[in-house]
Amino acid sequence: MSFNAEKEITKLWKNLHGAQDEIGKTYYRWREAALQFAGPDVKPLDVSLKTAEIMGMEIGKSFLPRLNWLKGEEAWLMNLAKNIAGNWINQGAIVEVEKGENPLEVFIKWKRCPWPTFAKEHGVDMEEDVLCCDMILQTILKDINEFFNTNYKIETLKAIPRGEGVCLRRLYKDNKQE
Amino acid sequence: MAKLLFEWDYSSYPGAKKYPHLFKPIQLGELTIPNRIKYAATEDNLNDHNGFVTDADVAYLKERAKGVVGGICTMQGVYMDEKRMGQGYVGQAAAWDDKFVPGLTRFVDAIHEERAVAACQLMHCGRVGAVEVDKCQGPSIVPQRLRIFRPVQEMTKADIKQCLKEHLDATERLLKAGFDVVEISGIVGYLLSNFVSSYTNRRTDEYGGDIRGRMKFVVELIQGVKKMCGDVPLGIRLCAEELLDDVRGNTHEESMITYEMAEEAGADFMSVTAGWQESIVPVISRDVPMGSWLHLAKRAKEHMKIPVQMAYRLFTPDIPNKAIGDGELDFWEMCRPMIADPLMPKKVLEGREEDVRHCVACNLCLARLFRDAPMTCYINPVCAHESDPAFATPEKTQDQKNIMIVGGGPAGLECAYSAARRGHEVHVYEKGEELGGTLLQASKAPYGDEELMTCINYQKTQCEKSGVTFHMGTEVTEDLIQEELPDSVVLATGPVYAKGEGTGFDRENVVNVLDVLSGDAKVGDKVVVWGNRKPGIGVALFLAKQGKKVTIVGKDKSAGFDVNPSFKWRYMIYLRQNGIMAYNDCDIESIDEKGVMVKTYDGYNFPVECDTVVVTERETNNSLKDIVQQEGIELFVVGDALVPRNLSSAVHDGYRIGIRI
Repeated sequence: MSFNAEKEITKLWKNLHGAQDEIGKTYYRWREAALQFAGPDVKPLDVSLKTAEIMGMEIGKSFLPRLNWLKGEEAWLMNLAKNIAGNWINQGAIVEVEKGENPLEVFIKWKRCPWPTFAKEHGVDMEEDVLCCDMILQTILKDINEFFNTNYKIETLKAIPRGEGVCLRRLYKDNKQE
Repeated sequence: MAKLLFEWDYSSYPGAKKYPHLFKPIQLGELTIPNRIKYAATEDNLNDHNGFVTDADVAYLKERAKGVVGGICTMQGVYMDEKRMGQGYVGQAAAWDDKFVPGLTRFVDAIHEERAVAACQLMHCGRVGAVEVDKCQGPSIVPQRLRIFRPVQEMTKADIKQCLKEHLDATERLLKAGFDVVEISGIVGYLLSNFVSSYTNRRTDEYGGDIRGRMKFVVELIQGVKKMCGDVPLGIRLCAEELLDDVRGNTHEESMITYEMAEEAGADFMSVTAGWQESIVPVISRDVPMGSWLHLAKRAKEHMKIPVQMAYRLFTPDIPNKAIGDGELDFWEMCRPMIADPLMPKKVLEGREEDVRHCVACNLCLARLFRDAPMTCYINPVCAHESDPAFATPEKTQDQKNIMIVGGGPAGLECAYSAARRGHEVHVYEKGEELGGTLLQASKAPYGDEELMTCINYQKTQCEKSGVTFHMGTEVTEDLIQEELPDSVVLATGPVYAKGEGTGFDRENVVNVLDVLSGDAKVGDKVVVWGNRKPGIGVALFLAKQGKKVTIVGKDKSAGFDVNPSFKWRYMIYLRQNGIMAYNDCDIESIDEKGVMVKTYDGYNFPVECDTVVVTERETNNSLKDIVQQEGIELFVVGDALVPRNLSSAVHDGYRIGIRI
């Protein structure tokens, strides 16, 4: 049974990266098509934000069966953060999750992300990329909060497209409003 | 004095002696029910898609009414709003207008013709409703965990008021139709349960808050409907355990408060249920032992004085009979056991338990409802065909034939007695010493598969009673066919096991699934199971339970492709729990002494270490076909011999051919 592990893994990696690359390209091709149909009166940012909202809603729904309150709120929060990180990792980002000082606070750090590069390649404003990511994350939380009757928030502290080296987001329980 | 609709005297029946608690009367409100048996409300998707009652559903229910032998027969829950937000099933009956009353009356008449008590149910499906429209209703906007359901729209106070009115208007129509008992459904994720549960009710007005606030809608509903019902008993179905702890649902203490409040509001009986459609805990599938939920009925009785009813894996009469005798339950409810055998309680009463076709708790019936398909039963081919006499009760043949059935598995046996009942002379040839075909081995898989053998026991009895001749230990050969020269041959030989296209499939460490399950094959500690359908999953779990490291390699995109979705999720969990990895969309390229080389559908290779490979992949069995055709004998092929599938297909194939020959 001859098997060359290096060859197989290399083949897999190459194809995975190709698929990841295709995700970004496909997104921006559709964005272009949507803008052409929408006409000159529509702001590109509005179209992108709407798309981000739809994406966030879908991603949020996909998290619901994977989150289990019975594991305790801290574990639940960590799981939520890891699900968010995993979503970007699948697309080619390097993302880490760290506990904050407060037990119900987590930091998600994007050390690398392909999306600003895609935006740049397609001539899209860098700030649009930040706002779209924010919109996706806020929409993910909307469904999660409604489903689990929680009040978690996420805020962007740093962003790669703003030249800050990493994207850093704080996911935390807002005790004031619950 | 309580009213009695129909006199029943069970004293001379053997079943009443054996199960005395099931066949003694009980009072529900002002009505006396002669026994403790109830066919519980069950959606069947058999009605017109505009809510009108059909011949098919009337015939379906009439057969179940015959089965309850004087007990309660409940029609499926009706939806009550013209906007159809409360409609949860495409074939659900409606009661939002007087135009539906004649159809509903047909149900009552059909049930009364069988001298049974006619019950109806009000069922607003809440956040699992709106099957035909874009948005469903609920007390709060809580997103759906299951994607098949619609987004939820929060009910305003005006909506709640309107909903109450619709319930009352519908009650008036149901009473006009002549129903003897009214029931309100508040279970599994339907509207009332949405109000009651802390998971789905986040309201801050008087219809939300603590459990008493969350029950306000239910209490108002019971009080309103009760007032309209007068002497007609009113019951309610509520969850004793939501099994929603993972999403912060009600505690069981809260659930018991709902029971007490329902009784206080005027309910005459309580139907105890467990779990929601969204629960991640198994409730009614075969892997849950029978009687597992009886403690909930017992708990309910500790909190209430009104009679307590319950279904939920009470599949054999001894369990409810004992529970009633022990004071833990008052009524034996059934849905699936009477889908599988509509006359089940009647047969029990008549002392014919061997004639009962037992439900195998596969949940195919439910899986179909969620996919907008009409009701069917895995093991009862006649289910939902009751209105078609040519199919359900075929006439005796005018052309008696001598039929040779090759194979004594589920397909062959089903065909055998179905044909014999029509007057044919039927001979079943089985090369083994035992009837059952591949089920003999398949039923050894864990998580309740031993219940599958009830199908064979039933078929064997029916064959014996209809005069089928068995030729055990007899392999059918060309010579035998030429010697017997039957008029028809039915090949029910089961599948042949595939020989892989890769190399090494002829090695000694490659064994057959049937030999493994029978204990006749030598199996090492590291096993690869080839095939990711049910036989593969079954044997993988069987071996994992023996402590072996098992990996499944199969061609289908997902494991359990042939298992219905309402059961498949259980298997996926069990595979995980037993540490079984399933490589789907894959095949075995080669086998050697170290293991197998797996090839993915898109061309990747990776090795999996193992000492044994178990073959479960099956193919059509063409043996004897040519011989039969050369002799000019009428030929039929059924079950896995035709196309390898599952038990249900075998039974349905066998029946369809049995009534056709």
